[in-house]
Amino acid sequence: MALLELDDVTVRYGGLTAVAGVSLSLDPGEVLAIIGPNGAGKTTLFNAITGHTTLSAGAIRFRAERIDGLAPYLVSAKGVRRTFQNGGLFGELTALENVLAGLHTQVPTGFFGVLFGMPAARATERAATSRARGLLELMGIGHLADQPARELSGGQQRMVEIVRALATRPPLLLLDEPAVGLAPAVREQLLGVIRRLVREEGIAVVLIEHAIEFVMTVSDRIVVLNDGKVIADGTPAEVPRNREVLEAYLGH
Amino acid sequence: MPGAAPVSVVRAPTLGRWVFLLVPLLVLPVPFLVNRYIQYVLNLILVYVLVGVGFNIVIGNLGQLAFANVALFGLGAYASGILVVHAGWPWWTTIVPAGLIGALAGILASLPALRRIRLFYLAIMTMAFGELLRWIYIRAEPLTNGSMGLAVPPPMLLGLRLASDRSKFYVFLVLVVVVVLLTSSLLRSRFGRAFMAIRDNELAAAAMGIPTDRYFILAFAWSGFVVGVAGAMYTALVGHVTPEAFNLLELILHFAVVMVGGLASLAGSVIGAIVLTTTPELFRSFPGVQELVLSFVVIGVLLFLPRGLVSLLARRWPVFHERYYRE
Repeated sequence: MALLELDDVTVRYGGLTAVAGVSLSLDPGEVLAIIGPNGAGKTTLFNAITGHTTLSAGAIRFRAERIDGLAPYLVSAKGVRRTFQNGGLFGELTALENVLAGLHTQVPTGFFGVLFGMPAARATERAATSRARGLLELMGIGHLADQPARELSGGQQRMVEIVRALATRPPLLLLDEPAVGLAPAVREQLLGVIRRLVREEGIAVVLIEHAIEFVMTVSDRIVVLNDGKVIADGTPAEVPRNREVLEAYLGH
Repeated sequence: MPGAAPVSVVRAPTLGRWVFLLVPLLVLPVPFLVNRYIQYVLNLILVYVLVGVGFNIVIGNLGQLAFANVALFGLGAYASGILVVHAGWPWWTTIVPAGLIGALAGILASLPALRRIRLFYLAIMTMAFGELLRWIYIRAEPLTNGSMGLAVPPPMLLGLRLASDRSKFYVFLVLVVVVVLLTSSLLRSRFGRAFMAIRDNELAAAAMGIPTDRYFILAFAWSGFVVGVAGAMYTALVGHVTPEAFNLLELILHFAVVMVGGLASLAGSVIGAIVLTTTPELFRSFPGVQELVLSFVVIGVLLFLPRGLVSLLARRWPVFHERYYRE
């Protein structure tokens, strides 16, 4: 059964159609890259999946359940997590606090329990903290835990954001341009992280990316968007030979 | 991960809960060392600590330009005064109701923000809310005694009359310690982290499963509760509640407490309350100079320490960096 299904998804802003009838499906543990020129509707498609944008038409199903129309926090709670194109970290919070915020739904403390410092609430908080530290250490960035996010380098921020998105062990992770602006060595590291997630945790990944070599190495399948429409959908071996894709990219 | 830096487990230093007991213990003997005038100023500082702590939740932690703080303060003060004068309640039983009225007004002030009215629009709307209330205090004469102000008899606590400023000091100190401790607990939990996540990136906060609207309301409500309690303390301290006490100048003072102390810092709110309350009092014998000195303090601090006086302490003692988790 498909993990995620998009059925004729359309998003219009006034007269502009940003996403025009996109249908695709994703299996558990699959890595799908979405590529396409600027303005092709890639990020809008992400926003539609995560509930940050409302659909004009179509349906989105996650584990056979409709998720379109749900508020972003509910989509997230169902197990669809994401990172943001220009970095979505909470800048004033430390790396550790960012990951803890990512664990929000899994720290089931109540208002009065917290307010009066009840032992149960404090134990839950402490357990979450050690879990968050563990996650950072697992990714090899435990030493950054107490640094404010805004003081981290671009590559470090990207790593923390991925750890934060993964903290709840979601079945589906959406990465919006994860490799852009990263040094080759860091890119390599990121590649390793994504591969490990897929292999060890069975997480499915959808990523938007311009770095074509990165896309070629990491993905099982590539979908090409142009003007809001899917113009190609195939393996990394097939897609570059597609005539429409060449036209969209090279303009002839 | 291969090639990763070695994992260090250096934990950030944090202020323990003992601070909340140690600091009050240290000031316990102070009332026996000072005269009545200084005692009054100390009591005023305690009122403004809660004014600052409450305001800081909304503008510092939640990061919203909502300026309903004087409205919340005035409502708390009037709620307490009216319950004492007209309903005959002993003062101490009005503290929680004053807080709850403040919380309700806080929720009311959060509604425009929930409808995506933010920044300057939210600022002017919430300021108008405060001015509207001032008009109501003046017009609701049967309850508030209008612009003459409401005279409130000395506060009662469990049958005891708190006639002296010294006795009020100890009651206020307990209230401040309890409310600051509760606020600290709230901020160092997923609730406080949710406030700041919303401040730093609202879309990302929602994508992390945080129901942002709910936390918006909660931050405003708790802020209102804290400031409402400060209002009840103010009534007990001055014994005379007038509409003039809750004007726009008072709002600037509240704003200055937070900014001079340090945004999103509990310790900062305490420092801001001390500095902003004592500075004008130091120059009381030089009329006209008061406002001048106060202005220079605010301008000077914000020019050289945009993160407030607490940043000066944090630079030297890292424990002043507030941490929003427990371990």
